[in-house]
Amino acid sequence: MKTIAVIFGGRSVEHDVSIITAHIPIIETLIASQKFDVWPVYIAKDGSWYSGKKMNELAFFKQPDFEEQLAREKKIQLSFDKGLSLVWPGLMSKSVHIDVVFPSMHGTFGEDGSLMGLLRMAGVPFVGCDMTASAVAMDKVLTKQVLAQEGIPVVPSAWFTKREWLDESAQVRGRISKLKLPLFVKPAHLGSSIGITKVKKQSELQNALEVAIHYDDKILVEEGVENLIEVTLPIMGDDIPRAALVERPLNRAELFDFNGKYMSGGKKGGGANSAYSVIPADIGEKLTRHVIEMGKKVYRILGCSGIARVDFLINSITKKVYVIEVNTMPGSLYHHNWKKDGVSNMELVLGLIKMAEDRFNAQKSTNYTFRSDILNKVGGPSTGADHGPVGPSTGPATTGGPKALL
Amino acid sequence: MITRILSRYRPLYIRSLIYMLQVCEYSIRDYVAWYGRTTDFSNVERRKTLIKTSKVYVLYVCAYAIVIALVAIAYYAMAFAEFTPRIVVLVCTALLAPYILAYVILIPLVLVRALQIPVEYVLIGQARKKLARHKGLKIAIAGSFGKTSMREILKTVLSEGARVASPPFSYNTPLGIARFIGELRGDEEVLIFELGEYYPGDIAKLCKLIDPHIGIITGINEAHLEKFGTLEKTASTIFELAEYLKYKPVYINGENEVARKNAKATLRNHILYSQEGVGDCRTENLKSDLRGTSFGLVLDGVKSRVKSKLLGLHTIGPLAVSAHIAYRLGFNRKQIEAGIGKTKAFSHRLEPHEDKSGVITLDDSYNGNPDGVHAIIDFLESLEGHRRWYVTPGLVEIGSRTAEVHKEIGRRIAAARLEKVVLIKNSVTPYIEQGLRETNYAGEILRFDDALQAYAALPHLTVKGDVVLLQNDWPDQYA
Repeated sequence: MKTIAVIFGGRSVEHDVSIITAHIPIIETLIASQKFDVWPVYIAKDGSWYSGKKMNELAFFKQPDFEEQLAREKKIQLSFDKGLSLVWPGLMSKSVHIDVVFPSMHGTFGEDGSLMGLLRMAGVPFVGCDMTASAVAMDKVLTKQVLAQEGIPVVPSAWFTKREWLDESAQVRGRISKLKLPLFVKPAHLGSSIGITKVKKQSELQNALEVAIHYDDKILVEEGVENLIEVTLPIMGDDIPRAALVERPLNRAELFDFNGKYMSGGKKGGGANSAYSVIPADIGEKLTRHVIEMGKKVYRILGCSGIARVDFLINSITKKVYVIEVNTMPGSLYHHNWKKDGVSNMELVLGLIKMAEDRFNAQKSTNYTFRSDILNKVGGPSTGADHGPVGPSTGPATTGGPKALL
Repeated sequence: MITRILSRYRPLYIRSLIYMLQVCEYSIRDYVAWYGRTTDFSNVERRKTLIKTSKVYVLYVCAYAIVIALVAIAYYAMAFAEFTPRIVVLVCTALLAPYILAYVILIPLVLVRALQIPVEYVLIGQARKKLARHKGLKIAIAGSFGKTSMREILKTVLSEGARVASPPFSYNTPLGIARFIGELRGDEEVLIFELGEYYPGDIAKLCKLIDPHIGIITGINEAHLEKFGTLEKTASTIFELAEYLKYKPVYINGENEVARKNAKATLRNHILYSQEGVGDCRTENLKSDLRGTSFGLVLDGVKSRVKSKLLGLHTIGPLAVSAHIAYRLGFNRKQIEAGIGKTKAFSHRLEPHEDKSGVITLDDSYNGNPDGVHAIIDFLESLEGHRRWYVTPGLVEIGSRTAEVHKEIGRRIAAARLEKVVLIKNSVTPYIEQGLRETNYAGEILRFDDALQAYAALPHLTVKGDVVLLQNDWPDQYA
């Protein structure tokens, strides 16, 4: 039986949503498959790592005294010796070797490529988009720049950093003034619509910018789309992406905000994103095809793998379609959508794990190092056998590196 | 092994015993049979939990009293006996304590039962007198299976033109029925009774209490065979209803082989019913899908199309019986059509439910008999364009026919080409697998250790359009 670590929680505003995604559907499905020894790995809001079988139950995190219980738990460490192991230190230390990792993180320090970088260093297969795609997709500004470069329609926008706002606010305002109202002010790196404000008149702009700056140091200001229809498209696969059904979220008055995304419906057991959308979206066959084609193109441009979700804005009169952002870890994997498209949670979760293993094996056959004598050519004392070692020794760079302890 | 032995020595053991008494509805026979079968008492309470009733509290008090008494005996031995007998008494008391407790706890139940007998006798006697004065038409339903469905169908259809009453839930014992009679107002026009059969003579006893005008025998099969021993004994017990009614009308399910064979063709009052109709009430162009069942109803030579929300062609026989009785009671055609139109699945009896992801679950967890199983497999076979899941732990109380009945279920599933079979593992599921193998089943078999695990996994296995049949529940006393 393979051991799998499902990593969730994290230092992110989407911490709680990540807990839901990890359990519904990932952990529940893995347990139901009877094929994996499932190790839940929970990263607390302070960045501490914990793991224990009781965390396989969503109910554990719903207990009112859950944080007190957590405080009594032993924090875990990671060992990168011959892959990834979870280590419970102490006199009765224990370690579990992990065969594959299922990251279930949303937002910063997880979905943004940092966890993927860590797992790459550990040399363990992991599910979902790799580091680069995750990092680009996490930055809404960068995503727009990459997509625009490739000819994908994006809405007119302006961006600036916190420093620019503080030092050159007049210039920033000048850039923003070229955009047509209404505007959407967004923190560049946050998901789940947190910190986003719709600006209908100039007087609201200041407040909106301050809200966004509170959350992020890079801000995106975008024009709104008239006659708006919003749709989203989950996609999975590696070289050949497979789209699920185009979905039209409902329950949004002004803005698709955090509450609209996760809190509406209030149905139990559906995971993040349930009971609030039309699937398939009622936008006609032609527009549906167009959205799917564009979605797959975006998926390839950003180098996504495993799973991602592309969000679109459509002007229902002109039928113009814009890509608004890409999410590399859709809430609850958008399993409700896949299910309607004939992909069960089991096929989805196990399929993603298979892709992760295939990608890992393919990467193993790529050469990342080569032998060179550059060190001998560089000036300074020689380290030849005649003189013995000089200075601090460094371990081998390729395998069996130093233990990274967290 | 050690866990099993130790499971008798944990405080939870007392709770397990009391829980099982409650689950067995305080039937000493069933409880003793369960105790004899069970070796591990660490996980008895699985499907339900102990409901804290006053009876349960009394049993707890008794149980602890017994434990204290045993400790007292041990103490007495320690204090006053010689060394060797002291050790013997101590070891014997310790070893035998759980066994003694398991049986001695029955004493208060036997005492209460002994006190209850005269009270019940009086209650039942009063009920019999009250019912004898009641002017309503009394219909009695007996059979190994399908009684509740028949009762509900009749109740729904006959309510279109008459005031109908029937005992709630599965009140089918003399005491349950007597309680119901006690609550009657007297102006009811039709009374419908289910007769529960557990042991020979039960039906005759109930007939004496009710004195029915019309009888219905829904069929005889291996359900409860463990209690009866042979199908012949089951048949003769159920046919006690026909014996009692003598020349009064008895509707007999012609689709059930044993019932058909036991019906006396020479008697005009033995009326066979089936999908084709009953007597002069005929059916044609039968259709059944996930939306319901429809058919042409021919009454007195006049045709009309009727629709019911019940699923499966096997429901047409009982619907025809209800139409036949309604017609004889003077209902007009419109009332009969409307009545049939109102019939729908009852809880846990082929009750359809579509979730928000478009998976259709058919809850048939109260269907635990071979005829019901065959009918539902036929229904699933008829469904087109759906991936079909058959989820079952098998059937209980089938006695000597266990192997054959379950192999036949496997063979039928394979023949119906159902795509997925989910087996909740226990002593009978290997027979289902054997039946599947014998018929070269081409679908997928999934196995789970218990029902809760399977039910938790199903939402992760299914997709939109799938039809999931949950067949039979496996109560804890059979675990």
